[in-house]
Amino acid sequence: MATVTQQLDPGAAQFLSTAFPAFVRTGANFPVVGLAFDATLDEAAFWLIRAVNYGSGNLTIHTDWYADVASTGDVVWESKLAVITPDTDTQDVETKALATLNTVTDTHLGTVGQRLHRAIITVTNLDALAANDDVWVKLTRNAVNVADTMAGDAILTLATVSYSDV
Amino acid sequence: MAVMDTTNRLRTWSQAMRDWPRTVGMPNVTKTELRAAVNATDDWLEANQPSFNAALPLSFRSQASVAQKTFLFSYTAMRRAGLLKAQED
Repeated sequence: MATVTQQLDPGAAQFLSTAFPAFVRTGANFPVVGLAFDATLDEAAFWLIRAVNYGSGNLTIHTDWYADVASTGDVVWESKLAVITPDTDTQDVETKALATLNTVTDTHLGTVGQRLHRAIITVTNLDALAANDDVWVKLTRNAVNVADTMAGDAILTLATVSYSDV
Repeated sequence: MAVMDTTNRLRTWSQAMRDWPRTVGMPNVTKTELRAAVNATDDWLEANQPSFNAALPLSFRSQASVAQKTFLFSYTAMRRAGLLKAQED
């Protein structure tokens, strides 16, 4: 039994034509690249992965982020999946719907504004996921949620998807 | 002039968060608290606009538009807070 982990690189993210995060590059001594999610608009990024060796159980999405300017407040992250089994599912890939969202609220830990945080989303709405399916992962900052209280952008530096191979 | 309507206050709040300078940092407040501060600032500007106008020298006061006076006010306040870099600096 092992855990399979796949990286969701901000530079590899895809977007719809509206409501997408800005791509930012900062860093004094090494490049810090990320996606800056707005504080008042819901913005989303997407990745396509193949669920190689997926066995069973929930997916876990680790979302590494930091605040652009804030040093307090909560950020609400949500994720949705759209899963297709090639050669089996007859669903039109261009009109496929996303499954119900899963969400997590992560609190800024203070002290240093731009410290790195890790929010963990447990994805239970798996859209009938099976091994080697194609999985579109949508990651959103739910900025309009009343529980999202952090001022300013939340910058995503890296996300991972992990699951069990048995 | 009247205070801004809800939409304009909302957009001021949203854009302020997008443009907030890292050099000054965000105070230890939530989005809701920042929004209340935007509203309070707008209220204060509305209430104190007459006294600001009266403080201006007559020549400028009589010649300048509201937008021109607002520009002057904003630049002066920004310089005082270290947010306005001049070519001479």
